[in-house]
Amino acid sequence: MSEFAAWVTGLDRPGIIAAISGVLFDQGCNLEDCSMTILSGHFAMTLLATGPDEVTAGALEVALRGAVEPLGLTVAVRDVEERPEEEVEGATFMVAVYGADRPGIVHRISQTLAERGVNITDLNTRVIGDPGEPVYAMQLEVTVPASVDAEELSAALHDVGAELGVDTSIHAVEADVL
Amino acid sequence: MAERPVLRLPDPVLKRVADRVSAVGDDERALARDLVDTMRVSPACVGIAAPQIGVSIRAFCMDVTGHKKADSCHGEVVLFNPEIVLARAAEVAREGCMSVPDLTGNVPRATEVVVRGLDPSGSVRVIEANAFEARALLHEIDHLEGLLFLDRVTSLTTDVFRRQTYEGQPKRRR
Repeated sequence: MSEFAAWVTGLDRPGIIAAISGVLFDQGCNLEDCSMTILSGHFAMTLLATGPDEVTAGALEVALRGAVEPLGLTVAVRDVEERPEEEVEGATFMVAVYGADRPGIVHRISQTLAERGVNITDLNTRVIGDPGEPVYAMQLEVTVPASVDAEELSAALHDVGAELGVDTSIHAVEADVL
Repeated sequence: MAERPVLRLPDPVLKRVADRVSAVGDDERALARDLVDTMRVSPACVGIAAPQIGVSIRAFCMDVTGHKKADSCHGEVVLFNPEIVLARAAEVAREGCMSVPDLTGNVPRATEVVVRGLDPSGSVRVIEANAFEARALLHEIDHLEGLLFLDRVTSLTTDVFRRQTYEGQPKRRR
């Protein structure tokens, strides 16, 4: 069995996912984890699929291209190599960042996290508000290693936020098994 | 009296509406003991509903003793035919479920509830609960309706998450 990663982007319209999943089904592939969203009117999809050994990434890309290029979309397919996950052990926190839009917000915030070994596991950003006065809103789910002091991290994010003119907050998210 | 395996998705029993008991007798009391024994085996577990151990009957056990988010605490509770008499105020919090491996979700639930049911002696018991105990009660009663927390979230993108390790549970890999 082979495993593939595929990316599809382009202007959104109805029928894109039906076209993509139709090709995967015809090729004997099984869709696994998948994420799709619309970013300012643009369709964006990342997916992992498994398929029979005889299906190659190149052949799958050609087949997908045939289906989605008429819809005005771009597609890329690559092989996924089996390797152990490099997973950060720690506690889950949500980080919220929002304020007047300006370049560098994502970079400075993510740099502050990376310097401490904090892993971003989910990231969503949106530009909202009036076009004349855009507001940037960012929500991150992060894994904070036990060696990191959450209060120091919170203070560091606050300092970076102050430099950028955005508000930051961080709170622990604990899931309870019921 | 024994611990029983906890069913996981996609077992169809989890999605079935469970049957009411006509009376609480020896069979029901044996079920109650199995529920409690199964709950006690997992240190992080604060409740188990009968469908989770493969019995499609309206019964659950719960114990939030010592939980840091608990305010009201009735200790070990077993109820048959539970009914929600009152549920008000709401709060979103992250939940996991022994029957839903790998995922957790943000679930809105009432923070003040009154639940009425039959205890293992067959007497009517009314429980007034808040905070975490209210959440636990509503989560277990959902199981009796064939509902999992996945049926309560509003967005797979912002409300459902891959599970981190829980205390006492080994990390599960795909």
